[in-house]
Amino acid sequence: MSSLPHIAPSTNPENLIQSEGFIPPTPRITAIRTELLSTPYSICLERPKLLEEFWRSKKGRQSAKTEHPFVHRALGLQYIFSHRKPRIYDGELIIGNMTSKRIAPNYYIEGGSINILEDITHLGKRTIPLKLTGRETLELLRIGLQNSFKSVGAKAVLRPSRFSYFLDFFRAKRYFVTEEAGIGHQVGNYRMVVQEGLLYPYEEAQQRLTEGKLADGSLLNADQKEFFRSVIVTIDGIRKMAENLADEAGELALQPGVTEKRKVELLESAKACRHVPFEPARTYLEGLQAVWLVHMALNLEDFEQGLSFGRLDQILLPLYRNDIVQGRLTPELATEITASFCLKACETIPLYSERIDKFYSGNGVAQALTLGGTDAEGNDVTNELSGLFLHAYAQVLTREPAVHVRIHPLTPDWFFHKSIELLQLGSSRPSLFGDTAIVRALEEAGMTKAHARDYAVIGCVEMASQGRTYNSSDATLFNLPLCLELALNEGKKFHGKARIEGPRRFGAPTPPVSALKTFDDVMEAFRSQVLHGIDDMVKVISWLEEAYRAIRTTPVNSIMTQGCLDKGKDVTWGGGLYDYTSIQAAGLADAGDSLYILNKVVFEDKRFNLEEFVRILRDNFRGREDLRVELANKYPRYGNGNSAADRMTQLAADAFADALWAHKNTRGGQYVPGFYSMTCHVGFGKVTGALPNGRLNGTRLSNGLAPIDGSERLGPTAVLRSAASLDSKRWMNCYALNMKFDKQVVQGETGRKALVHLFKNYFAQGGMQVQVNVLDTETLKAAKKDPSSYPGIVVRVAGYCAYFNDLQPDVQDEIIERTPHGIG
Amino acid sequence: MGSAKPLIFSIQHFCLHDGPGIRSLVFFKGCPLRCIWCQNIESWKQEPEIAFKAHLCINCGRCVEKCPEHAFSEVGKRNSRFCRYCFTCTDNCPSGALTRFGVSKSVEDLMEELRPEFSLFKTSGGGVTFTGGEPTLYPEFSSALAKNLHAEGIDVTLETCGLFNLEKIRPLLQELQLMFFDIKVFDEARHRKLCGAGNTDIKNNLKSLVNDWNKKSGPFVWPRLPIVPDMTDGYDNIKGWAGFLNDLGISFLTIVPYHPMGANKRRWLGLPPTHNLRIPTDEEIHSIERLFLNEGIKVYKPGGENIKEHYTGA
Repeated sequence: MSSLPHIAPSTNPENLIQSEGFIPPTPRITAIRTELLSTPYSICLERPKLLEEFWRSKKGRQSAKTEHPFVHRALGLQYIFSHRKPRIYDGELIIGNMTSKRIAPNYYIEGGSINILEDITHLGKRTIPLKLTGRETLELLRIGLQNSFKSVGAKAVLRPSRFSYFLDFFRAKRYFVTEEAGIGHQVGNYRMVVQEGLLYPYEEAQQRLTEGKLADGSLLNADQKEFFRSVIVTIDGIRKMAENLADEAGELALQPGVTEKRKVELLESAKACRHVPFEPARTYLEGLQAVWLVHMALNLEDFEQGLSFGRLDQILLPLYRNDIVQGRLTPELATEITASFCLKACETIPLYSERIDKFYSGNGVAQALTLGGTDAEGNDVTNELSGLFLHAYAQVLTREPAVHVRIHPLTPDWFFHKSIELLQLGSSRPSLFGDTAIVRALEEAGMTKAHARDYAVIGCVEMASQGRTYNSSDATLFNLPLCLELALNEGKKFHGKARIEGPRRFGAPTPPVSALKTFDDVMEAFRSQVLHGIDDMVKVISWLEEAYRAIRTTPVNSIMTQGCLDKGKDVTWGGGLYDYTSIQAAGLADAGDSLYILNKVVFEDKRFNLEEFVRILRDNFRGREDLRVELANKYPRYGNGNSAADRMTQLAADAFADALWAHKNTRGGQYVPGFYSMTCHVGFGKVTGALPNGRLNGTRLSNGLAPIDGSERLGPTAVLRSAASLDSKRWMNCYALNMKFDKQVVQGETGRKALVHLFKNYFAQGGMQVQVNVLDTETLKAAKKDPSSYPGIVVRVAGYCAYFNDLQPDVQDEIIERTPHGIG
Repeated sequence: MGSAKPLIFSIQHFCLHDGPGIRSLVFFKGCPLRCIWCQNIESWKQEPEIAFKAHLCINCGRCVEKCPEHAFSEVGKRNSRFCRYCFTCTDNCPSGALTRFGVSKSVEDLMEELRPEFSLFKTSGGGVTFTGGEPTLYPEFSSALAKNLHAEGIDVTLETCGLFNLEKIRPLLQELQLMFFDIKVFDEARHRKLCGAGNTDIKNNLKSLVNDWNKKSGPFVWPRLPIVPDMTDGYDNIKGWAGFLNDLGISFLTIVPYHPMGANKRRWLGLPPTHNLRIPTDEEIHSIERLFLNEGIKVYKPGGENIKEHYTGA
């Protein structure tokens, strides 16, 4: 934190937010941050215990028998909300504990939490240790085992007829189903929460029940009645949770030894929690507090991944401006409150076993903020609060929340520069999103222009029109290059582990290689494999969707999604105004480059016939290292602005998009593609055989929309050109384009300006998203020690750019030690 | 010297330290100087060269097997006496361990290679920088390339060692708004010793170019000085150049601290390592800045030049 460039307080708030440097953190923020960073992770067992308590109680047993599943579910949630113990931590200005521990994931009986039992013997010794007492560990084991058949996943696939799909689940070769753990991934209607309060859905539900009719006048059926009852029950629970917090704050304020200042703050928090989220917020603090309370409820309802805040710089602006005018608030104070809010987001982590961590490493849940952008008419609405959120995040630089910035042709320069200045601090935040391409893709997926322009990012890169969309945006990750392996081997892997799967065919029965006479034949087989994989996957997801509707409806999410109250339907029943299921492909560049090279060496240059070439792949290039290295180094690749290579990447992406667009989910929502891979490219890589582009069996696949590590030979401008040249119109769920820069290359004002121009140009050419790592000396030192964990770092050497890992150790040292003279 | 068609040994994009905005650098092969601290050693000769990056070699033996002259005694080990520079080895090397420095390119080739960057040049106020080596070794070619770029609205900047026949490069200069002019060792004899040639012509060229700029009949001239400890950082050297620049009415320059990051290229080309070279310390850099400042000369770092300030002031 000491490296943060500070600016002197200014009397002009606009200057303070827009000029170079960041508002320094107050001692309070530093203290909370320090405490969070030194707190070990644990697992919270409060939620499952309360749920069991409810199920065992008289009321719970009765409701299970007599109530509709919607209401039974809502009563369970209500019980959790109203019985959980409120905890308020030192100094925080936004209150409301995510779990019973300072930092912990919830254990969701109904979700995928059971995977953690795989690590039960060594929880404290994992790469990411989880600290539990012996008693808690036993309790965890009991909860897990006793409820193992109550999860959505178990309900969906634990049937004899679905056994092979159950295996697919665990092998995670072709796809990895996240939806089994929960849907999460939502940008709720926080505009409603802040401006109207939960009072609005509450009264709406009451009115529907009184009238016995929907707003459009049609009569309520039995399910719809129960839905509206579940809304009321749920909101009562949230109110109680807020009240309990208010009581706790009030009590703490009266404790001896509490400073006068803290007492005022606690009473202020108590006052806020008695008012929001039920009533509309009256101040900036109440606005953020309301958002936080509903965010907690969403976390407790489903699971924690990708629950996002949306465009808070827009939603909270009227409150902020009013507070400033009234003299209640200064930008500095607002920044402190906002930083406190950001730090609350650090209280949660995902619950992954080490096996699953291979696919989702990084421990993030991506509670996303989206800043800047336009209004429904396309006018720029970037404002002082957009900038203030950047200042607040600069004070914490924590893994959560995720900060995303919308860039469009009219984005003010100061905001673009401020965003890049934040990136230069090395936290890889914010990610940048290009409105033009994204709005186009959202419209293509059926949104009105106005709604598309009100998009906010779900989690990492996924898309929603905020408060209107039910997007199972991370339903599944899909292994695209594997489809090429299957296409070259009649639907089988080159090598199956004997016994478990033998030479089992799990792909489509495409023709043997001897029958693939042209490149079109190969493409056809590839497409068949993609279709077949997607078909299977859609089947599994449809079972999950059924299970959700039966045992795991999500009333909070439904309250937070427009359309549900109009239709009288839970989101899981298709209540959302917009509904999608999104599948992300990993290894796009590997698939594209492999298609290119296969076509080149087999069909164009005729160096091998297809059978020979496939034999080489099957043998994992054994004895042909020279060929493998040649294929990897000497052929055109995606990411170098080479249109022939880029076209093949487009073809691979189109095969995936075609297969998805042919499907609708059981709620009637469209399947749409996205291209990001979390760390699935590592997990999938382990189960994918050798590829024509020289990639060896078992090694990492390409990440998101990025070129393969080491293949972008012409530097960042060509990478961005290739990415922007791809037609992303049908990629509703966006993509992640990861770029790494050596800090020396992009530091200072020169670097800032250059990155602004670089990305402005990229978005003008049609780019959707880019995320940037600015690497400092420490990272380079780490990369030298452990090269395989740090691929693709481009450094500027003398007169040329090089991959850090390709440099000789002494040159690496020279770069690490390079003094900050701005050597070119 | 003066052959019409140069070899290009590198084109590098997204460069931020060789002129305003985002630029692409075109590296011309061939240089009249032999500065002992040079970090682009592959730029010296005008002829193509073959380098061997041993750390990339996978020991496949293709070079030994394919060389028509049997110039390879073992993998990567080329006897240059037998080599006819047919480049069969570099073409066949799968890993790029054997690499060719210097490819002949036409003006049209270069235009097409640079064209995708044009929009970025325009939005960022950048352009193309000719560097090397010494682009002025090829007056016709470099002026033709500059003219073509200029015709499409692309800014062209030159980096030069200053040793050229001024009359021959007038057509090139007409296409430039700005040129970086490298100065090194003030003392003629020492310059000859450290850089392989005298500096009288270099000083005269600098003088003439500044006069031309003052008469608005040439590009804006921006001097750059590499800081190499014990070679260019001495008090006399700094004082000498400061006086010289002051006489010309130039109140600014860029200093380029020595770095050893091209050292591995010497190895690739089979040259012995250089000794007695080191990175200047922060204190040394600061004291040089102070010395210049005392003489009324503002010092910049590469990429940090406030060109507008001095350009309009002139």
